[in-house]
Amino acid sequence: MQGFIYPNEFELHWGILIVLYPYLTGLVAGAFILASLERVFNVKEVQPTYRLALLTALAFLLVAPIPLLAHLGHPLRSYEIFLTPNRQSAMAMFGFVYAWYLMVVLLLEIWFDYRKDLVLWARQATGVRRWMYYALTLGATDLSKRSLRFDDRMGRWITIIGIPSAFLLHGYVGFIFGSVKANPWWSSVLMPVVFLFSAIVSGIALVLIIYVFSSLLRWKPIDMQCADKLAAFLFYAMVVDFSLEMLDFIHRLYESEESIEILSRMIESRLFVSLIVLQVVLGTLLPLVTLGLTAPALSKKSVLVLPDELKRLAYLGSAILVQIGIFSIRYNVVIGGQLFSKSLRGLTVYKAELLGIEGVLMASALLILPLIILWMLVKILPPWPDAEASLPTEEGGDTGVQRPAPAR
Amino acid sequence: MVKLPEFDTGRVPQQVPRLVAVFALVVVALVVARTALIPDTFGERGHYRAAAVDSIVAHEKKYAGQQECALCHNAIMQARLAGNHSGLGCESCHGPAASHTANPVEFKPRIPQEREFCLRCHQYNPSRPTGFPQIDPISHNAPRACFTCHDPHAPVPPVAPGSCAACHGQISYQKGVSHHAALECTTCHEAPEEHKLSPRLVRPSKPTDRSFCGACHAEGADSPREIPRISLRTHNPQYVCWQCHYPHYPEAS
Ligand code: HEC
Ligand code: HEC
Ligand code: HEC
Ligand code: HEC
Ligand code: HEC
Ligand code: HEC
Ligand code: HEC
Ligand code: HEC
Repeated sequence: MQGFIYPNEFELHWGILIVLYPYLTGLVAGAFILASLERVFNVKEVQPTYRLALLTALAFLLVAPIPLLAHLGHPLRSYEIFLTPNRQSAMAMFGFVYAWYLMVVLLLEIWFDYRKDLVLWARQATGVRRWMYYALTLGATDLSKRSLRFDDRMGRWITIIGIPSAFLLHGYVGFIFGSVKANPWWSSVLMPVVFLFSAIVSGIALVLIIYVFSSLLRWKPIDMQCADKLAAFLFYAMVVDFSLEMLDFIHRLYESEESIEILSRMIESRLFVSLIVLQVVLGTLLPLVTLGLTAPALSKKSVLVLPDELKRLAYLGSAILVQIGIFSIRYNVVIGGQLFSKSLRGLTVYKAELLGIEGVLMASALLILPLIILWMLVKILPPWPDAEASLPTEEGGDTGVQRPAPAR
Repeated sequence: MVKLPEFDTGRVPQQVPRLVAVFALVVVALVVARTALIPDTFGERGHYRAAAVDSIVAHEKKYAGQQECALCHNAIMQARLAGNHSGLGCESCHGPAASHTANPVEFKPRIPQEREFCLRCHQYNPSRPTGFPQIDPISHNAPRACFTCHDPHAPVPPVAPGSCAACHGQISYQKGVSHHAALECTTCHEAPEEHKLSPRLVRPSKPTDRSFCGACHAEGADSPREIPRISLRTHNPQYVCWQCHYPHYPEAS
């Protein structure tokens, strides 16, 4: 503690779990937007990651509300917030945004995309798996050309609805913070936009990491075209994200409201490591430079021509650094907003506990949980191009219908 | 192999009725969940579970509230209400004392006698409101406990201490064992009474020239015979006396 703080500011009410919440939803929105790129804008190179990105989004979306519920501290009745939303409360809107996104967007899109394979898997598999796949098709086993075209059309429509929905999901999270007008660190109309772009950055980086690792685990070669494209996208998204953040920063500096002094003191002392070192230098500038040099982002060929192995390593390293950087952004927003007194005269400290329901251990568990869910999803719904069942010729009559081709 | 059931739905794509059914199921499940899971008393008095109030009431009481204290400690209560700490609840200093009110002999509230306790509110801090009484703990009579000078229940605006020693402990201790032990501070310092209240604003005088000491020590001065004499004219005339003799502990060699 330093200077003067009000008694109720001594302890931070929003801890590491609330840091996790925007981080996880950001990954969801980002992974989904990456998948949509392939579908709507017809980016062929990233197609190997299309289904992987969707499943990643689903796995993380399933976990996203858990930190919130755990934070409420009453595991036996915290779910009630979903049953009795207070329509006056911006926070309660989360239930609606979440339900819409999960039910209407993600699950539907995945279902339409996988239906053909589900039917075929159900036909090929035996025993429990057979019935499981059958149940997943919901009994819609029609593989006629017309039916498949319907799948494709619906998938595209949902993606089109999905993009604004993903924007809504994470923009909403930014809005929650940005609309707190009593808090000068949060209150900013740019907040939802900054959140959104950092979400896209983190989602692309996450899919890149998962793609590289899953290829390694499956002993499959990495599609370098795909990796190059992902890295290029990551680079573009980071440029936009970083410029927006700088814009916000310059805006604050120029406005120089009465809070500027305490905020700059906070950045110099409390947030130095997490903001300057982790977020800006390691999490943004270093990956930006690395990607700018190694990825074919600025022109058809990258500035440094490296062998593929080295390039992969550079991409992977940058993506991991980006994850650290984005996590720091969330940390700096959530924790930073509570470190300074509303009297603007003092700073408190955040001491994360290790055990306990809001502890670091719990947070790590919640970070690993989506990966476990993803692993299970991948077991049930293999997203790899080579796992796709092709239509037996005599069934659908038209061998030309493969996986719904990207829209044009 | 078992044959998987197939359905024909005519012109509508097969997917539509199935999805509609699933969504209908979800909606029904939600409605059922709402009726079954929303606590009975929810919404009775507002957007919350009314029974929550009762469960909060059922919590064990830790604080008694100062009205309780007054029943047995009325004198202290009255003193406090009349004094500068009138705004402070008893338990903000003595801690939660509900168990004490239930059983005064068995359970004793804590008594915060350490200096650190008072300093939580009174330590000098530039961001405290102007006018709030603050002190610098290093120079303010360390290491004596605060309650030895201030009544914690009715800390009156500081009473001027009787002696200079209250604040100038070091000097008076030294003087007490020196050749000047018999001399009052006020022999050499004209100290107005306000100095004891606002020491930094109102300062006592200090001797300014050699003739002051000469009043006792000069040859032929009108002072007790046992006082050692020097000649003001020859005894290091270019300096004031206290450049060589510390007045509160004068030594001659
Ligand atoms: C039922 C009467 C009663 C009430 C109510 C009561 N006290 Fe006491 N209190 C006593 C008695 C009797 C003693 C002396 C006990 C002893 O010395 O054995 C005492 C002693 C104390 C002491 C000194 C303890 C010690 O270690 O010497 C403090 C401090 C104190 N009370 C604070 C409070 C506060 C604060 C409250 C209100 C929350 C309160 N009391 C309410 C009866 C009461
Ligand atoms: C500013 C903090 C403070 C507040 C407020 C305060 N006390 Fe005390 N109290 C003390 C301290 C310090 C002592 C120890 C004084 C001493 O040992 O001489 C003490 C001692 C006591 C004692 C035991 C010694 C004695 O003087 O009899 C009792 C009883 C007591 N307090 C009761 C109360 C009650 C009742 C109230 C509320 C009306 C109250 N106190 C409010 C700080 C406080
Ligand atoms: C919870 C905060 C708090 C604590 C703890 C506290 N005080 Fe106070 N004190 C106050 C307040 C408030 C006032 C009244 C200030 C005013 O009149 O503006 C005050 C006034 C005083 C005054 C009167 C100063 C003046 O010039 O009017 C003295 C002396 C004093 N306190 C001494 C103490 C001592 C000794 C203790 C420890 C036993 C103590 N205080 C503990 C809050 C506290
Ligand atoms: C040796 C006696 C003594 C002790 C011990 C002592 N004080 Fe004081 N205190 C005084 C005197 C004398 C004054 C008035 C002169 C002054 O303002 O310095 C005073 C003044 C104060 C004032 C009023 C200052 C103002 O500007 O109005 C506060 C508050 C105070 N003391 C708090 C404390 C606290 C807290 C402690 C314990 C950390 C403490 N005192 C210990 C003698 C004492
Ligand atoms: C309430 C505490 C207190 C009491 C009682 C007190 N003084 Fe002081 N006195 C101070 C403080 C504090 C200073 C230091 C002021 C400074 O250096 O800013 C001081 C400074 C002085 C000085 C030096 C002034 C200077 O300009 O350097 C003299 C001489 C002095 N006191 C004499 C006395 C005498 C004689 C008495 C007894 C009649 C006395 N004081 C009683 C607190 C006190
Ligand atoms: C013999 C005369 C004499 C007596 C008695 C005396 N002083 Fe002094 N005092 C002085 C002189 C001379 C100075 C000036 C020293 C200087 O300026 O360096 C002084 C300076 C001070 C100072 C200023 C700080 C310092 O140490 O230089 C304080 C405080 C002080 N005296 C307090 C007291 C107190 C309290 C007493 C009584 C306990 C006392 N004096 C008794 C002569 C005396
Ligand atoms: C009010 C009379 C008086 C004043 C004024 C006075 N003194 Fe003294 N002084 C004495 C007395 C009495 C003795 C002790 C004689 C004895 O030891 O019997 C003494 C002793 C001394 C000694 C001798 C110590 C020794 O070792 O024998 C010195 C040196 C001295 N004073 C210096 C000073 C200085 C310097 C001043 C001026 C700041 C001063 N005095 C002002 C009364 C006074
Ligand atoms: C340059 C340093 C110096 C100054 C200035 C000085 N003295 Fe001394 N004084 C001494 C020394 C050294 C002695 C011991 C040796 C001596 O007797 O000459 C001494 C001795 C004394 C004695 C003891 C004499 C005895 O017979 O025991 C007195 C009394 C005394 N001084 C008073 C004063 C007075 C009063 C003043 C100011 C008018 C003063 N001194 C200024 C250095 C100084």
